[in-house]
Amino acid sequence: MHEFTIASLLVDSLLDLAKKQGSNRVLDVHLRIGKLRALSAEQVKFSYGILIRGTILEGSRLIIEEAMANVHCSKCGYDSKLEADENSPYHFALPSLVCPRCGENLSIIGGDECTISKVKMALPVKQRTKSA
Amino acid sequence: MSKPVDIVTSAEGEVFDIELEVNILKENQRLAHENKQRLQASRIQAIDVMGSVGSGKTSLIKSMISRLKHKSRIAVIEGDVTTTIDADLIASEGVPSIQVNTGKECHLDANLIRKALDRIPLSKLDLIFIENVGNLICPAEFPLGSDKRLVVISVTEGPYMVLKHPMMFMGADVVAINKTDLAQAMGVEPRKLSSDVAKINPKAVTISTSCKSGSGIEEVIRALGLDGA
Repeated sequence: MHEFTIASLLVDSLLDLAKKQGSNRVLDVHLRIGKLRALSAEQVKFSYGILIRGTILEGSRLIIEEAMANVHCSKCGYDSKLEADENSPYHFALPSLVCPRCGENLSIIGGDECTISKVKMALPVKQRTKSA
Repeated sequence: MSKPVDIVTSAEGEVFDIELEVNILKENQRLAHENKQRLQASRIQAIDVMGSVGSGKTSLIKSMISRLKHKSRIAVIEGDVTTTIDADLIASEGVPSIQVNTGKECHLDANLIRKALDRIPLSKLDLIFIENVGNLICPAEFPLGSDKRLVVISVTEGPYMVLKHPMMFMGADVVAINKTDLAQAMGVEPRKLSSDVAKINPKAVTISTSCKSGSGIEEVIRALGLDGA
């Protein structure tokens, strides 16, 4: 249940952000979770729902998107999405880090993030800012 | 905290979409990096030992300590939800151990390790084993700042442990397949577990071990680069 830890970090970051922006109401939160993070979106949402009670985040919607992982072979230059073993009898995607072209070890690019990408919040008129 | 890159007015007039990139795991990554730098400055090797409850993490650490304690100055950080049973077992080897009770958390994190390092005389050590909480999922998400990650599984956990927990093995440097003295009784083939690891992470070194007979322990020590310590 490290989802609760992750949800706590998320709530702390959002409260901090809202405070900096002078907002007293958050509506939507977009969280991008990499495919390789062992995080259950369902449990993150459940924990989030509990943690936001009585805060300015209460009533906000948490929207979770999955981010893909890519692999790269430094020997033969093979680039691809991280493939799961198709012959695996398990419903969970079993990743393989063996290059299908030359058998070398593949390095993983991305897929390990856990990032707040967008927040919809109410801002007082005076505090509207635009930065590049 | 990243700066907002753009703010767009919505139809309501007062509600804004703020586009940003805030990595909520950044704080743990930063602290892990600090731990690593601190350990390197004291020329200490640190090994993060992970595995299920009852896989034999403590026994394997004890076996390595009894072979290394005459040439290296060792300490152990013991992570558990509660109790000091493991820390007491390690203390019986005559090396200092620090208990970190996570309370409710299922893993150690970089901040807990930072606090534990504050209580260890770093200048008097060459090697630290960090025994993570018994769990094959959560600890993979929280780097601690160690040099190497050792994952311990045992044949008593059945034949599918690697396939069921691929994430844990993707980040492993060394995998010990423990309790091989029981492999026949369990009907589990250590070579099958080993080939599962090779498929997910060909870089990991997999070694069959038995803390009871002592087989494989020296190989684990070599694979972790501790033999020259």
